[in-house]
Amino acid sequence: MQTVLTADRTCWRCRVDTAGGLVCPGCEAPQPLAPDADLFQVLGLPRSLVIDGDDLERRYHAASRAVHPDRHQLADARAGALAVSASAAVNRAYRTLRDPIARARYWLELHGVRLAEDNNRVPPALAELVFDTQEKLEELAGVNGAGAIRQEVDAIRADLEARIGGFTTDLGTQVAAWEREGVSATPATLAELKRRLSEISYLRSLLGDVDTAVGA
Amino acid sequence: MSQVVGIDLGTTNSLVAVLGDDGPRVLPDPATGARLLPSAVGFLPDGQIVVGRQARELAGAQPFDTVLSVKRFMGVGLEHVTPEDRRRYRFAEREGALRLVVQGREVTPPEVSAHVLRELKRWAEAALGEPVARAVITVPAYFNDSQRQATRDAGRLAGLDVLRLVNEPTAASLAYGLERADEGIVAVYDLGGGTFDVSILKLRGGIFEVLATGGDTRLGGDDFDARLADLLLAELPAELREHPQVHAQVLGFAERAKWTLSDAEQTDVTLALPNGGDVRRTVTRAEFESLIAPLVERTGVVCRRALKDAGLAASDVLQVVAVGGSTRVPLVRRQMQAVFGRPPLVDLNPDEVVALGAGIQAGILTGGQRDMLLLDVVPLSLGIETMGAVFTRLIDRNTTIPAAARETFTTAVDDQTSVDIHVLQGERELASDNRSLARFKIPVAPGPAGVPRLEVTFLIDANGILSVTAADLRTGHARSVEVKPSYGLTDEEMERMLEESIDFAEEDVRQRQVREARVDADTILNATRAQLAKHAALLEPDEEQRIREAVQALQVARDGEDYVRIRDAYDVLSQTTEPFARRIMDSSLMSAVEGRPLEDL
Repeated sequence: MQTVLTADRTCWRCRVDTAGGLVCPGCEAPQPLAPDADLFQVLGLPRSLVIDGDDLERRYHAASRAVHPDRHQLADARAGALAVSASAAVNRAYRTLRDPIARARYWLELHGVRLAEDNNRVPPALAELVFDTQEKLEELAGVNGAGAIRQEVDAIRADLEARIGGFTTDLGTQVAAWEREGVSATPATLAELKRRLSEISYLRSLLGDVDTAVGA
Repeated sequence: MSQVVGIDLGTTNSLVAVLGDDGPRVLPDPATGARLLPSAVGFLPDGQIVVGRQARELAGAQPFDTVLSVKRFMGVGLEHVTPEDRRRYRFAEREGALRLVVQGREVTPPEVSAHVLRELKRWAEAALGEPVARAVITVPAYFNDSQRQATRDAGRLAGLDVLRLVNEPTAASLAYGLERADEGIVAVYDLGGGTFDVSILKLRGGIFEVLATGGDTRLGGDDFDARLADLLLAELPAELREHPQVHAQVLGFAERAKWTLSDAEQTDVTLALPNGGDVRRTVTRAEFESLIAPLVERTGVVCRRALKDAGLAASDVLQVVAVGGSTRVPLVRRQMQAVFGRPPLVDLNPDEVVALGAGIQAGILTGGQRDMLLLDVVPLSLGIETMGAVFTRLIDRNTTIPAAARETFTTAVDDQTSVDIHVLQGERELASDNRSLARFKIPVAPGPAGVPRLEVTFLIDANGILSVTAADLRTGHARSVEVKPSYGLTDEEMERMLEESIDFAEEDVRQRQVREARVDADTILNATRAQLAKHAALLEPDEEQRIREAVQALQVARDGEDYVRIRDAYDVLSQTTEPFARRIMDSSLMSAVEGRPLEDL
């Protein structure tokens, strides 16, 4: 287990040095996390936009084996409670970091840039697509499942999925380049990252609307 | 330390298992060797209670006072019962947690369930030769918070410390994983008596990670029976349709017809009517399948959504595991194949696999099975009601548990002394369309509107159960949280029931023996009298006299307090009537009765 940020480096139960691990190397008791521990640190990772999926899963499994409440069932109440909160943090870290979009969004937050949760402003580059899609959805609602319009909506759906996939791949390529060049946290790249994430988030929510409309 | 048992608390049947040195095993009824305990609880006029097979048999005679599928009522309110439920049971007309009315008194579903759990506890103690105080209990993956709390309450009332609630399909995957040691994506399709679940899991290096789950807590084999029963009832004269005994009898026949039709192409049912007549009818498999097809199709919709939630295609699934007795129905198997593109794995006993998995989980918790670990998810999104009666999600469905969410609240008016939080579970936009779980009242230090800062943490533990804690950010002090469960028991109710349940548990063993012997005696007495009247022509000379003497002897014993005497008289009557019973069967055209004792005819 890599070093993480715990509140204290001394085990609350057996007083040995924990080296900042999620659990005590001596008595296996889960340690309280520092309030400012970030999700990368919880899984022993550097704050990087680029993460290897297999490595992430291995770290997640190892951390789960260490802190999951099932492993501390017979321990005292404090260890049990810490197991639940540490496990919740480990689960949140994995859920956030395995998805490139959620990871980038979280990474931006760590750099002080927040994406509005419900950004209702249509990104300019997507205005036409959004307009067409909403028009088709209204038509579909009006005629109640007419075959031809339904087919068009299915085509829009496929197009949206492809765009999201493409945007995500491009984003991955871009951030990998930034990381190589060591420029990922400059004001210009932060702004660029924010723009790209807004577009992808918007496309995702549009896809959600389409799914709701066609009852998928 | 004493062993921890795993319990499958099913809609129709329940089982108890334990992890031994050679793997998990089901613990049978010490008296009969039966492995399945019907989840039936019968309330007798004298205040006594019978559980299992005896209660099931009582259902025909005392339908209102015999609870056959209490699981359907766990953690729900009066507004969730169906018109069919109302025909079958009586409910107290009040808000909050549902209450059944049996023998003129109110009982809560957890109390009824506790009788089933207590019986399984007894089986386990007899098999293990030591007291059992701790258990893992399985619940449908799609159970919401209230339904889970109710199950845990039932465990407590039965004198069990419930170490963990495990989702049924996930428990099944543990049994499957121990058996096959495959790695990859596994879909568990679990169609029981009253609930349907599907879970998509990733198995890797001993970690069982649930990727997505879906289900319907009101869909199961019972609904198949009900559809068939409706068909049969519709063909009866109107005045008989609403007759509770006819209703119960028709349901029983429908269930047996369903079993037969899993192998046979058709089956005959014969209903004995209260007026002495009977109705015969042939049911074909095709007819049965057309009745249940819409229900089975619903499971397909749920499976496809779960795959989508997991971000997978059907072709990614390595194996489909069939769980629950209802997966024996051929149409259900075809549905599984249609959704996942491969035939389901059926070599594990679908009735036992969940209990065996619960036994394994008990081993995981106590260190007996260290290499396996289950990472499960919350089945429904959890959130709060916000301005404009809107549902705001805090934890999305299919989030791995334990899971936490933190929100900061403030006050709307000056000198407000508390903040009220309404927690709900579901996927709909409007708060009122989701299931209300509880209201939490949290005190705040008074101040101008918008100034107090209350940080509230919503934590879902490994059981899928929510707890709420709060801290005042200005003072850093923890704040107490008062919980008003929407469909659960309050702490005071729970306390009162616990006291009563201890009284019940200490009841004399002898009294229990007498009670059980009496129920058996009544069953055979009623059956014998009915058959004597109905089939007098089949009696040999002197036979009637001998049977009537045995009946009389049993009646006298039954009214006494000596259970050994009741059992002996029961055996005498049973032996005396055996040739008569055989003749009735020979003369009968009913295919469903073969090999059944007289009392079941």
